[in-house]
Amino acid sequence: MEATGVNAWYGRRQALYDISLAIPEGSVTAIIGPSGCGKSTFLRCLNRLHEETPGARVSGSILLDGEDLGKKDAVSVRFRVGMVFQRPSPFPNMSVFENVAAGLRLLGVRHRAELDQGVVEALELAGLWDEVKDDLDAPGTGLSGGQQQRLCIARALAVQPEVLLMDEPCSALDPIATNKIEALLQHLKTRYTVVIVTHNLAQAVRVSDTTAFFYLGKLVEMDRTEKIFHAPREKLTENYVTGRFG
Amino acid sequence: MAGLAALGILVLLALLTGFLVESAWPSLTHFGIGFLFGTVWDEPHNVFGAGPAIVDTILTSLFALLLAVPIALGVAIFLTQIAPAWLRRPLTYVVDLSAAIPSVVYGFWAFFVIVPLMNSTIEPGLTSLTGGRWPFPPSGSLGYDLLTATLVLTVMILPTIAAISRESMLAVPRIYRESALSLGATRWEATRMAVLGPARTGIVAGIMLGLGRALGETIAVTMVIGNVYILPGTIFSPGATLASWIVNNFSELTPASLAYQALLEMALILLAITVLVNVVARGLLWRFGSATEGGSPDRPRRHRRSRRSLVLAATSPAEPGTGGEPPAWRARVAAGVRSRLVRRRGVQWTVVGLTVLCLVIAIAPLASVILTLARLGGPAVVQPSFYTSLPPLGCNPNPFTTCSLGGIGPAIQGTFIMLGLGALIAVPMGLLAGIYVAEYGRNSFGKLVGFLADVMTGIPTIILGVFVFVLFIYFDHNAALSALSGGVALSVIMIPIVTRATIEALRSVPTGVRESATALGFPRHRVTVRVVLGSARSALVTGILLAASRALGDTAALLLTAGGSSFWFSSLNTQTAALTPFIFANFASSYQNLRTDAYGAALVLLAMMLGISLVARLAVRSGAAAPEGE
Ligand SMILES: Nc1ncnc2c1ncn2[C@@H]1O[C@H](COP(=O)(O)OP(=O)(O)OP(=O)(O)O)[C@@H](O)[C@H]1O
Ligand SMILES: [Mg+2]
Repeated sequence: MEATGVNAWYGRRQALYDISLAIPEGSVTAIIGPSGCGKSTFLRCLNRLHEETPGARVSGSILLDGEDLGKKDAVSVRFRVGMVFQRPSPFPNMSVFENVAAGLRLLGVRHRAELDQGVVEALELAGLWDEVKDDLDAPGTGLSGGQQQRLCIARALAVQPEVLLMDEPCSALDPIATNKIEALLQHLKTRYTVVIVTHNLAQAVRVSDTTAFFYLGKLVEMDRTEKIFHAPREKLTENYVTGRFG
Repeated sequence: MAGLAALGILVLLALLTGFLVESAWPSLTHFGIGFLFGTVWDEPHNVFGAGPAIVDTILTSLFALLLAVPIALGVAIFLTQIAPAWLRRPLTYVVDLSAAIPSVVYGFWAFFVIVPLMNSTIEPGLTSLTGGRWPFPPSGSLGYDLLTATLVLTVMILPTIAAISRESMLAVPRIYRESALSLGATRWEATRMAVLGPARTGIVAGIMLGLGRALGETIAVTMVIGNVYILPGTIFSPGATLASWIVNNFSELTPASLAYQALLEMALILLAITVLVNVVARGLLWRFGSATEGGSPDRPRRHRRSRRSLVLAATSPAEPGTGGEPPAWRARVAAGVRSRLVRRRGVQWTVVGLTVLCLVIAIAPLASVILTLARLGGPAVVQPSFYTSLPPLGCNPNPFTTCSLGGIGPAIQGTFIMLGLGALIAVPMGLLAGIYVAEYGRNSFGKLVGFLADVMTGIPTIILGVFVFVLFIYFDHNAALSALSGGVALSVIMIPIVTRATIEALRSVPTGVRESATALGFPRHRVTVRVVLGSARSALVTGILLAASRALGDTAALLLTAGGSSFWFSSLNTQTAALTPFIFANFASSYQNLRTDAYGAALVLLAMMLGISLVARLAVRSGAAAPEGE
């Protein structure tokens, strides 16, 4: 996945300035940076969710498999680029099963056996199957926070996207739930391209192969994760990863 | 003090019920349960039954609901999910505006626009379309019938349902919609999956509030339903609802006659129905509100345990990580995505089209009302003397005489006197009760008062009018029809609205303000009065304006309590003129000059209402109004 010259605005206010970067496939890319630097905004540009904010605008191009996403239909883009949000957000009026099946139904999967298979597969991939298999008809919002977040991951995975975007997926979770999701990421990257926004620098080191550092709406530097954390090119990056600000 | 005012609301409700029961008692005991099923209203023989009125009330309200709900939902969906950002505020304002139009104005408009249209085009059209089969036989009602009443009710409850649905949809956290979009849902699919579902409790509450409004709607229905007391045979039958029958007959009956008591029993039935509906609606809204505050807008409902687990047991899930061949259906689905997308986009655009249509349907009556009133009332309102003269003697011009137009001076004067009187009682009482509930009433008593104030705003004003009349008959029967009685009736309309507005205004003051003031050492009541009321000021003003505009636009209660007069105000104990009763009494007068006056009065009333709502809007803007979510 490749972004070229991406600018983004909320109303008149510009949130991203000329971001160009390439996201390697089949690996985990972390985006770090102080609060308000545009990490979420950039992530939301990647699946064209940004344009759903009233008054928001975006320019530049984002390529996936060589196709310019901006020229395609937003719906088919989002079906290929899934997203998990900061706060767990299982649909409150749906059961565990229905939450995961929601995307499959949109794709037109009707047969019960097929739905079942897709749901079970996604739940297993998200490492949630064993915990919920006995009560799939329970409301999704009845699970614990960590389980809810994995349910959201399963929901996103069920439609088998090529890219999975995660916006601080662990920031609302306790350490044990966080561990589970980090382990899951290691497993997921064999099949998916993952982009994760995180405030937790240790987490970025643990889970990511590549790290991008954003500051004030600009990309400061992007490189292999060890490089960013141990031998960054930019002074700004060094200050940030060593905890001197932010 | 504040606690007393809160208690006052309970007392008011108790008095309301008590006096109605007490005054209707002879009828209750005389007819027993049979009153509900009796089908005649026979004064000479003293036989009364509420059957036809109950049937007509329920039929017109339910059918109005059936028509209004889909349109209102379409409007709410358009305003929250589809309209571009810059259009949302103005369109919302326009839709809300149609909720502020007084029912006498709607009735007036319906009389001049809908009734003729029904009579000349729609009803004959329906008849020929259906070949005259039941329930569409050739109509002899001249357009004054159940169908017309239903349509007018539809127009009137639509903005209420749309407003509550819109708010409920806005209360659903955006993250759900975005989650759905991120799965590849179209905007409509995201709305269906992730907005309508979570908002459903609020939407149902809005529908119930609309139903309550339809059941109790009085004046507009009276003006178009034909007022014939028979069980309906077709949708073109003329009829009478509980409210319309009460308002039509009340002033002609002697208190203490059995007919009068039977009419009071009708009021009691209407009270019971509307309170029930409003209790359900408010209960749902409270639940919805407390759920959205906690972040998840609707309590998860336990799903039916289906055969799901059985089917699952039959499919043996692939071992994770084995990387086996993807199942065949995946490929089939992937191949079908493109063509399916075309269809889904088709649905999306159809929905957009339909919601725009809903919006047009919702706004069209407002436009038509304004145009109709401007056309009819224009000639009168441009004369300065219209505002200062007494109403004329009835007269029709002929080649030998011209008629004087006269004016609505006394009606304007009386309206403001009674409005002032009402505000004098309602504002302090509502404010105090609201302060009590918001600031001190975390106990169950406070909650009860808040809830009952909510429910009370849904009681039809005709019942409040009946109550105040009965109250005066009991304590001071000479003043039962007077400015005083009218003012008290308006105050009863305003009290719960002011209370609610106060509660909401105070609750919206951030706790930080309160805490920092307390931390500075202000005693509690000073914190409340100075700091909290200060920062809620503009919201309070808006609430009081809202209450005043409801009172200003009300006809039913004033008709029963203020009486009528063609002269200037003389004393609080005598009958007094007011705008809405004047319009109602004269819009179909056989004298041309009186009709013209009524048209002008209607236009003046409409202008006042629109003016108030504009001022209220500006007050909200100038205050620290919270941004509107989306
Ligand atoms: N809906 C919005 N409307 C207006 N401005 C916004 C909106 N969302 C974000 N912004 C602004 O855009 C800038 C970038 O925000 P963004 O949410 O992308 O930052 P972030 O890096 O994700 O921050 P955080 O780490 O706190 O999540 C910020 O200055 C923010 O104030
Ligand atoms: Mg963010």
